[in-house]
Amino acid sequence: MNVALEINNSASPDAQFVTWAPSPCRIRVVNPAGATAPTVSVKLSSVSASGGGTVGFRSGTTGSFASTLTLTVPVNGSTVPFFAAGKFGQPSTSSGDVGIEARVGTTLVGSTKLMVRVRKNANTLTAGERDRFVAAFAKLNNQGLGRFADFRDMHVTVSLPQAHGAPGFLPWHRAYLLDLERELQAIDASVALPYWRFDQPAPNIFKPDFFGSSDSLGTVRFSATNPLQFWKTDGVQGINRRPFFNVAVAPPGLLTEAQTLAIGTQYRVFRTMEGNPHGLAHTSFGGSIQSPPTAPKDPLFFLLHCNVDRLWAKWQRQNSRFDPAVTASFDSNPASRPGHKLPDTMWPWNGVTGGTRPPTAPGGAMAASPCVVAPGLQPRVQDCLDYHGVLNAASNMGFDYDDVRL
Amino acid sequence: MAKKQKAKKQKTKKRKAAKKSSARMAGRRAISVATSADKTVKQRVAAMAAAPLAVCESEKDLQAMLKVLSDSSEPIAVRLAALQSLGAAAFSVLSFESCRADYIATLRKVADDPDPELRQRVLGILMREKDGYAQRKLLDGLKNPAKALLPPEKALQLLSYDVHADAYSVARDILKKPPNDEAKREALRLLAADAKAVPLFEKVLRDKKELRENRQIAASALHALHPDKLQQSARKILLDKSDYADIKATSLTALEQFGDEEALGKDKALLQSINRFRASKAPAKYKQTARRFLSKYDQ
Repeated sequence: MNVALEINNSASPDAQFVTWAPSPCRIRVVNPAGATAPTVSVKLSSVSASGGGTVGFRSGTTGSFASTLTLTVPVNGSTVPFFAAGKFGQPSTSSGDVGIEARVGTTLVGSTKLMVRVRKNANTLTAGERDRFVAAFAKLNNQGLGRFADFRDMHVTVSLPQAHGAPGFLPWHRAYLLDLERELQAIDASVALPYWRFDQPAPNIFKPDFFGSSDSLGTVRFSATNPLQFWKTDGVQGINRRPFFNVAVAPPGLLTEAQTLAIGTQYRVFRTMEGNPHGLAHTSFGGSIQSPPTAPKDPLFFLLHCNVDRLWAKWQRQNSRFDPAVTASFDSNPASRPGHKLPDTMWPWNGVTGGTRPPTAPGGAMAASPCVVAPGLQPRVQDCLDYHGVLNAASNMGFDYDDVRL
Repeated sequence: MAKKQKAKKQKTKKRKAAKKSSARMAGRRAISVATSADKTVKQRVAAMAAAPLAVCESEKDLQAMLKVLSDSSEPIAVRLAALQSLGAAAFSVLSFESCRADYIATLRKVADDPDPELRQRVLGILMREKDGYAQRKLLDGLKNPAKALLPPEKALQLLSYDVHADAYSVARDILKKPPNDEAKREALRLLAADAKAVPLFEKVLRDKKELRENRQIAASALHALHPDKLQQSARKILLDKSDYADIKATSLTALEQFGDEEALGKDKALLQSINRFRASKAPAKYKQTARRFLSKYDQ
């Protein structure tokens, strides 16, 4: 007898990724040989490689997750749904380092490999995680000829009001990061965007094998085997970045994580973190990342903003701020510019140009995911709040942070 | 009931206004400390960190911050902190709109400040804003060193934020007689988008006496200007037994990342040379790249 297991209700290898949030899965008998009854009892369990991720299971949409699950599966090929989720604190480090095994009695009747893929602290990635991420990012840039040019063009002078100094700052950047991350995953599905935890020392990030070390001029130097040495934007090769601090320690003056989370329980107050720590993190350097119109020329921008988003996610968890209908979850003001009110679609994914929007909309619609449906091709501001699917499972955007619980 | 709900709404509105107001007050207090000559440098620099979002809330506070930035009698640490704080505020683009014109005007005033670090930072910000005034100053300095506000390598680096014909012409002049290695490197980087620079980059790439970085810039520039040249140039380097391990590693990385996999798989001579590289005394990391490359072709 054999069974087939599908993660995210898909047989595609690109869908074999889970986070801390429940992923819908299914099982069915594909070869009933040896069956003596209309149904068979199948036990699912998680098997981890050394240092790999761990998953848990539950049969329905509510309840806690367990390390095993026994399901009654018809032998006629009908599917039986279940849910799998990564066990908090035990993410994967590579694709397929965790498996699900299905047994009837002691007999293995089916298995599949998957990955608990979450966003991690860039300073503590394994060498493999780091190298895969850097390779994917360099490919996306493709020496200035690749798709990254669209991401660079989404954050230029004329488009900055779409995303800054107003309530939509956090949702816009959440969508921006997700779009880029999905493009990276189209190159290497095992990659997740890591974050630069800027209130702590992160010396490993600023090394030649990772995001480079800066010389006295502020030119970033890479090792001979680091593909980021070919990074090019706006037709010019290289990255200009001059830290105004010793990279063995954290930049001074930034609010710590605890201070940031304590800014306020209302979103309208919390979003002032745009100044400190966000703005000050940017201006802790000279070079591209220091100025709004050039910041994304430096790929470190995306790690910086990944941490900004992580802080928002943590604040949301701390204060239960996932519901757009709750006033404290957002800063709703009818006078806000287009793109900064809850029901507004966001540029550039909405393709709207002219008037209050920029003259062009680079990049097209939001990148799709083989794992989840949210936030849709033209996300609205409100679609970016329930990123975890806390209120509505269908709102799950398919990303998580290693240290933010469900 | 409706009266009660209205009263509740008004109470909530007042509470929110008070909260916002207290955040505003904290920011304004921070600016007051930051701009006060009576406070210590340490106190003022620390206060600057709390200032960003309050900077544009009042004209008086903005002008006080800009005055600190432009006043050369102020301690340089305080002036640099003011610049950093204003730069952070600039990210809140919509809130910063009302401050922008004065901010840019002050930056231009400070562009020729006696302090070299402040000059460099300010000119960097202006160039990233594609400011014509800053661009003219930098180009004038490259053409006439007596007018230079920054070392040539830094001026070239900043000009790369707004590349055009004038910048190309000074970069070429620098390459004829580079004052130092960094200036040469920055001139090459700037020229990487200039289609007329192809012969230059071919020459740099072939020259084994050139620094690895310059050869790598040349290889990458050629790939962008003539995409079919990447495999040819990387191949030549890998086949050349006398060329250096680090440029071979760079070439291999380029091929691994950006090469045509099918074409590479058919290139027996190339694969053999990479095999030799893998078995050589090159650093372990370089050999690991070679191993990884060859594993794609079952070698």
